[in-house]
Amino acid sequence: MITKSQIDSFIEKIPPSPKILKETLSLLDQGDLVKAAKVGKEDSALNAYLKELINKPIYGFRNEVNDISQIFGILGVSKSQEATYNYMISLLSPAKWKLFKLNKSSFYDLQAQFSANWQKITSHLNINDKDLQSAVSLLPASIIVSEALFCEKIDDVKLLRSVDEIDLNTILQRLCGMDLFDICQRIALKWEMSDSIAKILQAASGVKPSQDETINKLGKWMHLLLFYTLSQPAFIQAELNDFIDFQVDYVNDIYDDFSNLMEIS
Amino acid sequence: MRAVIRDGIGVFHPQGFLDGASSESLLNIEDIDMTVKSNASMILVSLKKVIFFNRNGLDVFIKMFQKVRTANHIVVGFCDYDKKKYDAFKKFYDNDLSFSLFKTQQIASLFSSGFKEKNKNVLLYSEDKSQRAALAIELHDNGHNPIVAQSEEEFLQKAEAKDAYDVIIENTFLGQMGQKVATRVTGNAIIYTVASFLDAEIGNTFNIAYHNNSLNVGFRLFIFDAYKVVSMNVHALNFFSKLSTSAAEYNATICFVGMSFNKTPLSFKETLEDSGMMFFDQMDDILQNKELLDELGASSAASGKNKRSLNKVLVTELPNFIDATVATIEMMTNSKATKDAAKVDKIEIVDKNDKIASSIGFYGDIDGMVMLVFPLDIAKKACELLIGESTDDKELILDTLAELVNIVGGKVKTLLADEHISVDITLPRTYHDVDGLLEVAQEKKGVQVDLSFDNDKFLFFLTR
Repeated sequence: MITKSQIDSFIEKIPPSPKILKETLSLLDQGDLVKAAKVGKEDSALNAYLKELINKPIYGFRNEVNDISQIFGILGVSKSQEATYNYMISLLSPAKWKLFKLNKSSFYDLQAQFSANWQKITSHLNINDKDLQSAVSLLPASIIVSEALFCEKIDDVKLLRSVDEIDLNTILQRLCGMDLFDICQRIALKWEMSDSIAKILQAASGVKPSQDETINKLGKWMHLLLFYTLSQPAFIQAELNDFIDFQVDYVNDIYDDFSNLMEIS
Repeated sequence: MRAVIRDGIGVFHPQGFLDGASSESLLNIEDIDMTVKSNASMILVSLKKVIFFNRNGLDVFIKMFQKVRTANHIVVGFCDYDKKKYDAFKKFYDNDLSFSLFKTQQIASLFSSGFKEKNKNVLLYSEDKSQRAALAIELHDNGHNPIVAQSEEEFLQKAEAKDAYDVIIENTFLGQMGQKVATRVTGNAIIYTVASFLDAEIGNTFNIAYHNNSLNVGFRLFIFDAYKVVSMNVHALNFFSKLSTSAAEYNATICFVGMSFNKTPLSFKETLEDSGMMFFDQMDDILQNKELLDELGASSAASGKNKRSLNKVLVTELPNFIDATVATIEMMTNSKATKDAAKVDKIEIVDKNDKIASSIGFYGDIDGMVMLVFPLDIAKKACELLIGESTDDKELILDTLAELVNIVGGKVKTLLADEHISVDITLPRTYHDVDGLLEVAQEKKGVQVDLSFDNDKFLFFLTR
């Protein structure tokens, strides 16, 4: 059994520790894109990450975007903040994935897709809160934490899975007493995100709906986005599709709206 | 992906969105093979956690299903869906459903031989009459008590008494019953549907083998539902003229219903009428006119060109035909069959009184025709299960008998497929009395097997 303190110690390792990142995030939080870009420029890894992210096909830019101030300018405050969070998460990403069949490139893809589509959703729902935009970055973060936790007990995990068709989230719950969304909540606390974000992520589990209508609605959209993304061949092959249990009934009422937005046919 | 196997049913549970790309990643043929090796007699994909699917996504599974079914002869299909998804299946595959659909896993388990519980009271309804019959027979075969609703109204009424039934079946489809080429109506008429522009392409799309075999079986009235036809060109005209002329050799009638000649030269109609084709404005003009229906559909002496002899392949497969027939009738009448005599000759029916008959043709790798002569009492008994109550209405008995023979045909098809012999079956033809059958069959040589079900004599005749 993995203890809570082990989980906490792992989450403890999550940045922000580098000074530059902390400052960049703080400036973005104040809405100062110019200064944030100036500070961020000093971290060449952040620059390379943002460049790779923004030039992914899902963002649909014809010409290559190179400069960090240009990137922040294009993304705007909330998306820049989220992209920086994504970068922090990528720092945690293992060199070699053992349980989920991911690699650096496919993990960046996962982040990019969550991010771009969540932006689409928040715009559609007329939500401009930058914290809410960043909320979706917690999903890939918790996948990394789960991978790390599973790897500690990889034999137990494989045994449990061979006995019955149990989803990994349930195994995580049984092994650690926490599920993916609890981990998200912990990370949100660590990053001092607002309380409502933690609640949205819990609602996004599909099994812990919120009494608050707005939070519940966002939870539904995130739950559906999670499955929309994890139904892509690359992530099915990465064995992420059956990580959590899809709650179809929970999202039925928003499905038509979602499919119109994502142009599903 | 791994299947969960319970009661001999292997169920895969994909989740999320199914399109061509994701379906391929979710399930592969090795996953299915492994499930089959674990003694699953049914392979299903549950759609409980699927929020979206399209035709491409389903096609990936169906392609694998077909392979597995051919290799292992097990039931394959989908389960756990709502009405919306069921309607989507019907829309995507229309009359080409080669797999099964079970509304829930619980319903699927009733059709699984691995399901231990028996004697379930099951209320069932399907708008398709053949399906109603097939579902009832399979349920009965598996030791349950099916109660068949004959109409949606009756179904809804009966379904109100929920406690009276262990399981209620609707929106369910058994997919191994063979192809549906045309619709049969009471009165032994076959209806083909044609639409839009009729041109040279009709020669490719019209299933001529099916049509010829239907003639061979004894159908004498063929109706083209042409309400949706916009126009016809000279190539189609030639095709239909030939069809009509060749039908005349069997004394069969071909009719066009609902055809408008706004964009088709009126002279075409005259040409077709000269070749023996008849035209009607409304389908009811024929179907509701019993006298006309009897007159048009009445069979006359079979064509002399049709005397083909039995061949070795057909005789070798004889046990398969007998097995399929006997098993179905035994099960339906709850009585044991004994074989009295077998001979190769022309059909010989000693006592013609109180007997009705039915025939069904098959064609493909081998071709021929099975004729069954039932004492009216056996037919009534066998049909009781399908109708849900006893009846003396001869039309209804004949109608249900046709469904029963259709099921025999379906079983033969499956048994032959096990030996890699691929055949299709025609619709069943029924006869009010033995004389009607003899008009078609008396000159044909075949294998006649006399069987007894308890003390009732029953005749099986296999010919070409």
